Amino acid sequence: MDRALRRKFANQAFVVICTGAALVALAALALIMFSLLTKGVGGVDLMLFTADTPAPDSPGGLRNAIVGSILMCGVAMMIAVVIGVLAGTWLAEIGGNTPYGHVVRFLNDVLLSAPSILIGLFVYWWVVVPMGGFSGWAGAIALGILATPIVTRTTEDILNLQPNALREAGMALGASQWVTVRSIIWKAAGAGMLTGGLLGFARISGETAPLLFTALNNQFLSFDMSKPFASLPGAIYPFAMSPYETWNTLAWAGALLITLAVLGVNILGRWLARDKDHK
Amino acid sequence: MSLQSARHPDPVDPIFRGLAFAAATTLLLTLGGLIVALMIGGWPAISKFGFGFLTSSTWNPVTEVYGAAGPIVGTLITAVLSLAIALPIAVCVSVFLTQYCPKAIAQPVSTAIELLAGIPSIVYGMWGLFVFAPWFARTVQLPILTSLDPESFWGKLLAGVPNGANIFTASIVLAIMILPYMSAVFRELFRSIPPQVREAAFGLGCTSYEVVGSVLIPYVKKGMIGVVMLGFGRALGETMAVTFIIGNSHRFPDSLFASGSTLASTIANEFNEASGVHLASLIALGLVLFLITFTVLAIARALLSSQRY
Amino acid sequence: MSDTDFQSVITPPPADQLVLETRNLNFYYGTHQSLFGVSMPVKRNGITALIGPSGCGKSTLLRTMNRIYDLYPGQRAEGEILVDGENILGPKVDLTSLRARVGMVFQKPTPFPMSIYDNVAFGVKLYHKKSKSQMDEVVEKALRRAALWDEVKDKLTKSGLSLSGGQQQRLCVARGIAVEPEILLLDEPASALDPISTAKLEDTLEELKRDLTIIIVTHNLQQAARLSDYTGFMYLGKMVEYGPTEELFVKPKVERTSDYIGGRFG
Repeated sequence: MDRALRRKFANQAFVVICTGAALVALAALALIMFSLLTKGVGGVDLMLFTADTPAPDSPGGLRNAIVGSILMCGVAMMIAVVIGVLAGTWLAEIGGNTPYGHVVRFLNDVLLSAPSILIGLFVYWWVVVPMGGFSGWAGAIALGILATPIVTRTTEDILNLQPNALREAGMALGASQWVTVRSIIWKAAGAGMLTGGLLGFARISGETAPLLFTALNNQFLSFDMSKPFASLPGAIYPFAMSPYETWNTLAWAGALLITLAVLGVNILGRWLARDKDHK
Repeated sequence: MSLQSARHPDPVDPIFRGLAFAAATTLLLTLGGLIVALMIGGWPAISKFGFGFLTSSTWNPVTEVYGAAGPIVGTLITAVLSLAIALPIAVCVSVFLTQYCPKAIAQPVSTAIELLAGIPSIVYGMWGLFVFAPWFARTVQLPILTSLDPESFWGKLLAGVPNGANIFTASIVLAIMILPYMSAVFRELFRSIPPQVREAAFGLGCTSYEVVGSVLIPYVKKGMIGVVMLGFGRALGETMAVTFIIGNSHRFPDSLFASGSTLASTIANEFNEASGVHLASLIALGLVLFLITFTVLAIARALLSSQRY
Repeated sequence: MSDTDFQSVITPPPADQLVLETRNLNFYYGTHQSLFGVSMPVKRNGITALIGPSGCGKSTLLRTMNRIYDLYPGQRAEGEILVDGENILGPKVDLTSLRARVGMVFQKPTPFPMSIYDNVAFGVKLYHKKSKSQMDEVVEKALRRAALWDEVKDKLTKSGLSLSGGQQQRLCVARGIAVEPEILLLDEPASALDPISTAKLEDTLEELKRDLTIIIVTHNLQQAARLSDYTGFMYLGKMVEYGPTEELFVKPKVERTSDYIGGRFG
């Protein structure tokens, strides 16, 4: 029975290869996290949060960049949530099955995975050039455009999960569509929509490319979003590329901060989604 | 009279519908605006260089002559190479997690992989620059350089400055970056297969290799191709993971270990110092990138229209 | 009589006609025991039915007979299952060849994502190398025995998923018998089918039983009475009564059996 033997051998080889590949992949990913931790932790101290980005070879922190990132991401999320929730609601409740609805859904899916640097070019052309210079607003708009498709998509998906009986029950009471959506559907889907928002937030907080030529960077702490604006990724990029060791250390610390933030937000989102499942 | 007029219509209703419609239309306008911006912005370069923009590999800011062939080829090579590396590994990881791994381990590992898929790409880029590239130069490139005849086929294929910043290392970093995403979605696809199909295959006496290769993978083939295209789209447009490590030279890459550039990395590197035709050429690169990724994503979405990821 | 305390009454077929026999079989999902000392002697060729209320363990029992439960860590069987006198629960049993001898058809149709022809040829290819013409013969024979040939002979290259539910289920039967097993296990094969498809499937089984041992789990008492030669009635993980179908339905020896058949519980 060499056929049976051959099959058995092929199967064992397959199991070994799969297991091996999985271990290699996990090892590579673990290696990256290990580098990030070991190189990043060294740069984390109180000064990281209290001092601004320094000149080469002098001590400093990332305060201006952290504040800048939080502000820009905050504004971006406001844009994304307003447009995304409305657009997602339109797709799920109103016009999703019309030909126009299919077009919008398709374009949203394309935007969802479009290269982020192109969004940077878009905002450069339509915001930076007309406004006469780089600004925090431009950066926030770029990030907002990146997060909007994510919010739109999750909103539509979550709303579609809500049972039709819920809509019918609302309408049967004589409630208008607006009241039904606002006080029944959105409320029922709340946790899921929040998760969508958090996922969008996690995605944009680490984005670098679209900020390079929209918000640019700023060495000082600033709250004026009409001027060039600092951000964590915007500070990490030049610092990592530079030959100065102090800057490299700051870049690793910044990368660690971003990663922890992204992981934290993602875990929070999952936790919220799971909490809802258990109810 | 009709039942509808028996009650006062809610005056907010049309406003709500209008705003929702406007929001949906914003998405359309964004994509339209992107195309318009790229076309107008890139027009000076396109009109000056014509079709040669796509075929010339000269990129010279001093003489103001720009051709996109180098970055285009660099983009395609890194994307294809990274996919060639990541795809088989991602399949193996997802098969391992769904078929062979004990459940108690599979769940946390899968969650970890999904979380890793969300790590910002700049982290992968920095790891490539500071950790992987020096290691690669020391342990792979130098020995090859000293032991291979530079005139032989392999010598030519693997020639390059031993600094670890080249097309090959960039592809590996890209592969590692898209790996968690692809593994996670493949795993979802496998889990979507009804357990009875798997039982039926085993019930015929299949080995697990035959079950996976002949039944499970064909079962989700369409979805898998869609996911591969999405991964390809990501690799094509990825900026930060590549810019750090590809070496940023605009010549036509002549070996696997040669430094190169991609469309996205060129834009990211030069945009803030550029003006005039140089700026227009960079925007035109964006247009090329848009056309390539749009095609890939459109195909992916068409294939995935039944399943959404 | 308490719920768990009763005597099994087993009327076995003649000893020289046995093809499969479970002896004192216990089964566990993790720590939860779901079969308790089940003994079931199955006669070669013909149809044996397993009936009982849902959750009584009849599907579990069926799933031990080709050890499909092995796919799920934590599930295990204790006792003996003899197939042609060999205990298949032993550690050295080759599962692929066991499953070639003991085929299985599931509750929902499970055509593979390939053509009708390839679905039937799939299992055969695992074990034998055949020329195209030999394979054509095997496929045609299996489809004829499953009473599906006339309906699909002009569209063998079409996807198996394009067939109706009843046709898909008969395709799965054809796929199972193409490997030429001794025993075919069917786990509520008609529960997802309409009455006409069910009747066709039953005709198919009647044809097959001449040279194949069929063990079928069904929740449909009429189906069991119509089709089977032997019937086992299970309750709470135990074999309550096992014997020739006619005896079991007409004059059951255990009160609980007559209660169930009479519709007084379950």
